[in-house]
Amino acid sequence: MTTRLRAPQYRVSRRAVSMWTLGTAVSSVMVTAVLGALVWGVVSAAWSWVPDWLLERAWWIPVIYAGYALVKTVVAPRWRYRVHRWEVTSDVVYTRTGWLSRTWQLVPVSRVQTVDTTQGWLERAFRLATLRVRTASYAGSSTIEGLDADEARRVSEELAVRIGDVGDDAT
Amino acid sequence: MSDREEPEPASGTAEDPPYRCEPDVGSGAREQVPAPESVNRLSPRSMVTAPVKTLKGFIVPIGVALVLGNFNPWVLGGAAAALIGMIATGLFTYLTFRYQVGTQHLEIRQGLISRSRRTIPLERVRGVDITSTLLHRLLGLAVVKVEAAAGGDRDEEGTLDAVTATEAERLRRALLYRRALLRGEVTAPERPEGEPRHATEGESAPAPASAVTGGAPGSGGPETVYFVMPPSWYLYALLSIAYLVTPFAALAAVMGLVGQVVSEAGVTEEALEWLVVHETSLVLWGSVAILATLLLLMPVFAVVSYGVAHWGFTLWRRDGSLVAERGLFTRRSVTLEYRRIRGYELLDSPLERMRGAVRLRAVVTGLGDTATRAMLLPIGARDRVARVIERALEPFRGRLVPHPRAALGRRLIRAVGPFAALAVLGWASGFPVVAGVLAFLALLGVPLGVDRYRSLGHGFDGRRVSVRSGSLRREQAVVGSDAIIGWAWSQSPFQRRSGLANLELAVGAGGGSYTAIDAGFQESVDFAGTITPEMVRPFLVAPHTPDDEPAPDRSRSTEGENGRGSR
Repeated sequence: MTTRLRAPQYRVSRRAVSMWTLGTAVSSVMVTAVLGALVWGVVSAAWSWVPDWLLERAWWIPVIYAGYALVKTVVAPRWRYRVHRWEVTSDVVYTRTGWLSRTWQLVPVSRVQTVDTTQGWLERAFRLATLRVRTASYAGSSTIEGLDADEARRVSEELAVRIGDVGDDAT
Repeated sequence: MSDREEPEPASGTAEDPPYRCEPDVGSGAREQVPAPESVNRLSPRSMVTAPVKTLKGFIVPIGVALVLGNFNPWVLGGAAAALIGMIATGLFTYLTFRYQVGTQHLEIRQGLISRSRRTIPLERVRGVDITSTLLHRLLGLAVVKVEAAAGGDRDEEGTLDAVTATEAERLRRALLYRRALLRGEVTAPERPEGEPRHATEGESAPAPASAVTGGAPGSGGPETVYFVMPPSWYLYALLSIAYLVTPFAALAAVMGLVGQVVSEAGVTEEALEWLVVHETSLVLWGSVAILATLLLLMPVFAVVSYGVAHWGFTLWRRDGSLVAERGLFTRRSVTLEYRRIRGYELLDSPLERMRGAVRLRAVVTGLGDTATRAMLLPIGARDRVARVIERALEPFRGRLVPHPRAALGRRLIRAVGPFAALAVLGWASGFPVVAGVLAFLALLGVPLGVDRYRSLGHGFDGRRVSVRSGSLRREQAVVGSDAIIGWAWSQSPFQRRSGLANLELAVGAGGGSYTAIDAGFQESVDFAGTITPEMVRPFLVAPHTPDDEPAPDRSRSTEGENGRGSR
């Protein structure tokens, strides 16, 4: 009981906050719209087996969800930005992810099988990228979201070289 | 153990590529690797098994079509055509199928018009499984499955369905032996003829048992039998719920069939109604009798079906592999290389624990369908299983550290909470009976939660790591510390309050990971640090330093510690 894990050294790009906010906002609006449409359908159909008290209060569902989604859109990206950290040493890829629940992950570089960077359309718009490090176990695979695109590419290239030097994937 | 180290030929230079094209055997470089075998065919008798196998898949649709079509000539003709087609396919397969064990590859060719040709590098062969169904065995045949890592993370299989049983065994030995040679794990015998060359018989020409990992094929090498199923162990079927409910599953199927027949035969609902109304007692007693018989027969069915699946379970070591063989009608043998065994799992249910029984499974890299194929022993007495582990594997000798007290509360909440909440909800909305049932379930959750807490633990004995969890299906995994390819801690807000975390060990074998649930966070960090110091130590700090010290948005420059070691 003498030690504990420190946080990894680097934060992800500041632009990730905007990207996460926009992403959450878009999906929240969509889900709220779908919920609203469903409720509208149920209310206007007014089936006899749907109890009246439910019909009267049905509008609460999308409204409550919208409230929750709003809070989440504002809070989660900022919180996530505070939590998300990463560090790549010569031997280990160390990440911390999550917001409410957190995950600390250590992946030894020598056991890495593949490294790849991906860019979705949203990420491209914000010049960000996701770095994925895979080992023989799905549980030993690490993902760093919201990295600056150039940074991600550079790190993945360095890692690829390093893997070629020390790789032994233990399968 | 380095596995690419070839015994270097005198003339060879260090830059010799590890792979070589097939035909250049005579160059003196590969003196020990026997020359390629002649091209082989499947057994002619496979012309019988292949159509039967296809037929098994189609017998129901064909039967249904015949019945529904009232055996009219069109349907009858169609069925006959299908049957002829199957036989023709079997014949065609036999005529066009070729396989050859080369110096570097196993090559399987098939087809005339659309040719397929599969080449499996011998070095990448992971295992050779031999299975045979009852029909195969009546004809003296067996199916050989060659499993190989195909580069990347895909697996490939080559299936030879079917060759003679002796050829199957010879092929297995030959493939594993050649692979061992290619990997430089054994030295070849003086005479390359040490290996039986042709398909006729497998046990000819005993080769001298050789260097590192085991014997050459032919002689069979030293075989050590670790376990032969004692008769009393068949009774352990009674502890297995899956086998106990078999008769009910069968009954459901029969009922479905009866229902279908009844409706097909034009028995109307009125007739059934009449039966129920006028012969109530008959129907009642009839069903009671059937149910009672079933209940009585349940254990018998269980033991019989279990016996059929596990008949003569044997575990032995041969040529650096563990071989498990079992089955009465379909005899299946699974060969697990020691090189790929990373550890083992002990599984038990509360019922099995009460009788001191346990199941043993291997943790193996690159093995699909682990539930059945990695099974090392049937359900059996714990102390006997421990003795087998002692001899056949390396046992975990450490002690499991129990998890903090706070974990008990969490286990209880998990086990009781959902049912209790539903019970309250049920009560509030006016369903007292439902609420009562749910409350009872919630009450049952108390011993369950306590037991789940008691089974939690993790430990390290200097070489092996062990993690245990679960109650209804308790699982203790033991893996070598060098098999661990990553650590992950996850912590929910609730766990953070009580200083707990789930520690997940990533392992490139078996299920991929094992989790120590609700371990003390700091304690588990120390635990990981003891096992793989080089992986964890760099990220440790004294407990009370502030966490969020300056953490810059990483600048573009290439300084920093990463990438230092490249090249």
